[in-house]
Amino acid sequence: MPNGHHSAQSAQYTANSPRRADATFRDLGHLQRLFPYLKRYAWPLTAVIFGFLLTRLFDAAVPLFLMHAVDSISEGNPSLLIPALGIIVTVICRYGVFVYARRLMRRIAIAVCYDLRKRLFTHVQRQGPAFFNKYPTGDIMSRAINDINLVRNVIAWGVVSIMTFLFSVSIAMVFMFYLSPALSLMVIWPLPIVAYVAFRMSRILFPYIREQMMAIGEVTSYVQENLNGIRTIQAMAQEEAEIKRFTEVSTKYADLVYRATKYRAIMNVIMPMMTTILPVIIIGYGGSLVLSDEISVGTFVAFFSYLLMLTGPVRMIGMSLSMLTMGAAGTARLCEIFDYEPEINDDLNAAVPDKIQGQLEIRDLTYTYPGASQKALTDISINIEPGETIAFLGRVGCGKSTILKSLVRLIDTPAGTVLLDGHDIRSYPLERLRKEITLILQDPFLFSDTLRLNVTYDDPSRQDRPIWAATDAASMSETIREFPLQLATIVGERGITLSGGQKQRATLARGLIRRAPVLAMDDCFSSVDTETEEEILSGLQNLRKGKTTLLISHRVSTVRHADRIFVIDEGRVVESGSHGELLRLGGYYADLEAVQSNQDQDRQRKVKLLHDLEDKQEAVVGGEG
Amino acid sequence: MSDQTYATPVPQSSPPQRDYSAFDADLTGQAFNFQLFARLLRWLRPYRLTVAFSLLFILLAAGLAVMLPVVTGLVVIDNILRPESVSGEEPDFGMTELTYLISDVSGYTPLIAACILYLAMVTAQAGIMYLHRITLASSVLKALRDLRVDLFSTLEDKPSSFYDRVAVGRVMTRVTNDIESLNELLTGFGMLVGEFVPFFVALFLMGAISPSLTLIVLFAIPIAAVATYFFRMAMRDIFRLIRNSVSALNQYLQENLIGIQVVQLSGREGMNEEHYGRLNHDNRRFEFQAINYETLYHSFNESLASIAIGAIIWFGGGQVVQDEITLGAMILFIQLITMMIMPIVGLGEQFNVLYRAMASGERIFQAIDWDERLKEPEHPVELPPRLRGEIELRNVHFGYNKGEPVLKDVSFNIRPGEKLAIVGPTGSGKSTIIRLLARFYDFDDDMIFLDGIDLNQIRSRDLRRRIGVVLQDFHIFSGTVRDNIMLNNPDISPQQAEQAARTVNADGFIRQLADGYDTHLAERGQNLSQGQRQLLAFARVLAADPEILVLDEATASIDTATELVIQDALHKLTEGRSSIIIAHRLQTIQECDRILVLHHGVVREFGTHEELIKKQGIYYTLHELQFQDGAIAAELAGADTEEADSPVEQQADDDDDGTPPSMREPDSF
Repeated sequence: MPNGHHSAQSAQYTANSPRRADATFRDLGHLQRLFPYLKRYAWPLTAVIFGFLLTRLFDAAVPLFLMHAVDSISEGNPSLLIPALGIIVTVICRYGVFVYARRLMRRIAIAVCYDLRKRLFTHVQRQGPAFFNKYPTGDIMSRAINDINLVRNVIAWGVVSIMTFLFSVSIAMVFMFYLSPALSLMVIWPLPIVAYVAFRMSRILFPYIREQMMAIGEVTSYVQENLNGIRTIQAMAQEEAEIKRFTEVSTKYADLVYRATKYRAIMNVIMPMMTTILPVIIIGYGGSLVLSDEISVGTFVAFFSYLLMLTGPVRMIGMSLSMLTMGAAGTARLCEIFDYEPEINDDLNAAVPDKIQGQLEIRDLTYTYPGASQKALTDISINIEPGETIAFLGRVGCGKSTILKSLVRLIDTPAGTVLLDGHDIRSYPLERLRKEITLILQDPFLFSDTLRLNVTYDDPSRQDRPIWAATDAASMSETIREFPLQLATIVGERGITLSGGQKQRATLARGLIRRAPVLAMDDCFSSVDTETEEEILSGLQNLRKGKTTLLISHRVSTVRHADRIFVIDEGRVVESGSHGELLRLGGYYADLEAVQSNQDQDRQRKVKLLHDLEDKQEAVVGGEG
Repeated sequence: MSDQTYATPVPQSSPPQRDYSAFDADLTGQAFNFQLFARLLRWLRPYRLTVAFSLLFILLAAGLAVMLPVVTGLVVIDNILRPESVSGEEPDFGMTELTYLISDVSGYTPLIAACILYLAMVTAQAGIMYLHRITLASSVLKALRDLRVDLFSTLEDKPSSFYDRVAVGRVMTRVTNDIESLNELLTGFGMLVGEFVPFFVALFLMGAISPSLTLIVLFAIPIAAVATYFFRMAMRDIFRLIRNSVSALNQYLQENLIGIQVVQLSGREGMNEEHYGRLNHDNRRFEFQAINYETLYHSFNESLASIAIGAIIWFGGGQVVQDEITLGAMILFIQLITMMIMPIVGLGEQFNVLYRAMASGERIFQAIDWDERLKEPEHPVELPPRLRGEIELRNVHFGYNKGEPVLKDVSFNIRPGEKLAIVGPTGSGKSTIIRLLARFYDFDDDMIFLDGIDLNQIRSRDLRRRIGVVLQDFHIFSGTVRDNIMLNNPDISPQQAEQAARTVNADGFIRQLADGYDTHLAERGQNLSQGQRQLLAFARVLAADPEILVLDEATASIDTATELVIQDALHKLTEGRSSIIIAHRLQTIQECDRILVLHHGVVREFGTHEELIKKQGIYYTLHELQFQDGAIAAELAGADTEEADSPVEQQADDDDDGTPPSMREPDSF
């Protein structure tokens, strides 16, 4: 599979699959992957095919009526009622059939896209981290938006235009041959050439379109970057230089669009010229046949109408085919996602206990991230009894987070290395496992929704009492009460922006509300100030009595109250024991404690100082007022 | 309300109590707003000659397009194939004479001559259409490029008070997508002209041949127009519903992807699928509704044309029999009908584009008309070629929002060449002083002086060339290291850039990068360490060689070796320059001549190190604490956040004053 391409539209969307604009005929095979989706609509599809066939037959009948009318006039004994009514009735019938078939086809296209979208969402939701490493959000979004659209176009228009082409050309030819084989032969021979040239020219246009897309991408990223750094630019008084550069970028874009337009305009000269040969043949050769009385004036006129039926689809064939190839590339890109099997599937046969005590065992766990050269964890063996509080400490990237992730299978560890209450975690259904072991992630992510729905994310039916209990435990209640809308406050993109600490406390509440037998907190206090952290931790000691708690922190003051502390370095446990034991050991932990306790004292003094200042300030302000 | 905002000029003098929500409003204007269109044409004015030619070409091409059926109908069928029926009264624009002239000159039969004429006309028509297309494209593209640059220029001038409140994304799409849809509008308009010209030529021709038959055709036109109108009305709401449902679908998917781990850890997959399913279902419902109308309308007008053909045969045939018109004229009518219905069909299909383009136009002009600018002096003082570098703040009162003062009665001065350290806890207003000196915000007259000149009497650009500002979160642009030092400033040579880097000790690490000065940096410089970024910022400001330096020292923790390098660089940077430094490190503060302690926007202490130590006040206590605080905080909080690089907005926590957090950009300094 080709890798490392960049989608022409935007640099942020890295594509793992064929570029859409590069698709060739070889990609057409991918379209067969759409068959299962179309099969559901087999009967409507058959109706559509008959509908379009009928439409073309009606189309072909109109010139016949016209011919009869013209001939009857020309021969001086006019019979006009039948042709006139015939045309009107035919047109009305054609309209009805056409609307029916077209509507049906487009409904099918919409329905298939509905199915694809649903499948995509469901499929993506069950994927693990490896998948999301390979397909970043932007990439999946691009598939969900652009590729599904391509599929829709290919069903609604691409297939239809191919059908139109086949039906129009064959039916028009039948009728033309019926009217005058000699003239038909003369008219038909240039058609393949026209079709070929049309097709070639539409292919030649691709690079121009791609260049144009890349240029607009350049304009977009230029503007975006410039506006993101606008203060720097203004501070350095570089606005004029930027405007000058932007003028160059936009001029380049305008030039490229102009080039593509020019090419398209040339195409629009050549195509009509080529098809013009056909009416000229009719005028010249057909006219001479009329003069020599081999065909009637009516036939002569009818040929012009059939010509329209022929040339339209023939000229469009290039576009229709490229629509098909692009649709095929889109299908391939969607199927690439569908073919990616989720790494984790529930083992339905394994027996697991109904009630979890919270005993954890990590047994000789060694883990390497896919594609990484170094081991993330080496020979980790930890036994955790129910009700214990365990802390992990270590440098950035030492493997602490990996340990916590392995407990809830955010990374997939080998069988038999992680056990919950004596059973391999792989034998628990995933949802059950993640319910029993609640992991609170380091990155405080909130959905742009109300605070209530964020805190009760796992189960929106929760009542007020547990919600407030959880926010109390996370020291978030006071903040929430300050918002006019309280729990109904919308946060995130479309609502208010919380500070880093507030976000962290909200995510903490979201985890605490689940009251799981095992709670794992991955550095959840980094943006919370020390006092609040102390408050939360001491609260947790009561709240989690008898339940297993694991936490990661950089602060000695956070981890000191844990029953046991594990110091991790380069994926190995280098020190372990209680706070006192580790201090006596005189290793990394003891050093860290020495540095941090000094700082803590200083910090306390500073807080006190600022507090005093605050008081004084108030006294000053009060005195002035 | 919102569709009028672009036209309402905001009074210049009134204090900025602006409705920024207008920028988020979903603008849905009329289908065609003449005022807006007329305004748009102003940008075409420089290219009016090209536009005029383009219009001339389309008229010619349209005329020729109508002549083609005249040749087949009146010349070939009437004159050549059925010479017995010619009355010689049909207005054939001399085509018959021309055919016979060609025939006489070349010696070919009239039929071949007609073929030659036909071919020549098609060739001419195609050639002229080509000229039309490229002249139109050239003028439209250039005009839109100008509009784009003009829009960009006004954005470059918007002050910080604007960017504090309007999301960059909201503004950006105006420069990109909105201009694109105007392109669609203008080229579409050209095409529409191209279709309506034959409409009128054909109408004229038909009227001349047979007024009674023309009436039949004219009868079809209002029907087509009414159908188009109803279609448009029916689709208007549905298009909006579809747009909204699609963006709801996409937003939901995107948020789920970003928060996928939370989704999975909370076991929400099933519930989310249901929710997405509902959104998907709504979308499908609206799409189905839309195609019901679309398919009904799509071929209605074409069918109408065919029905009109039936009517022409009935009535026209009768007229032919009675020798009122010729057979060729009747066939000409039949061919012209399609030409008349086409523009109406086109109009119906263009409405969508039209709506989109009008809304885009409104958004563009809203941004252009948004006259939020820094107050610039009417009679600016020209700064002398060399400044002494004396800065004075005199009773400065300032706040970002009414009733929320950030600086209260701040007064201090810096003597030429002096270094001043500003010290104070978070929220004391330190950064605000920097922002005022950089003229990011407007403030009252007679508060801040540079060499005795009121800052408000100096053009902001002049000022910024003389005052170098190093912001804490220094913005790195994607580009080479050299580009980032030079910032495209034409006054700086690459040699000067490298020299500046050498002076501030950045040369060492730059040369160790893969391509040295040509190493490509990602936006925001993710491939550089904190210390390296700081040195690069120093190099950038040094290369610009300002006379006064205003610097916000980075708080993040840096290892001891780098720390020393940076201190040395800072020393060289401030040498001989009046400097104001928001200091976080003891070392930095001790290098300064005087120290200002700021707290809650009030100057609490001001003097030399010795004076303040003697005073035994705040500075004394802070000094005792050795200013370790910032470093500790950074080590604890900042060290592990590298991974947390999610697309979700990251709130900068290091900011310090009264700007409400929700209104700040993630990378505001």
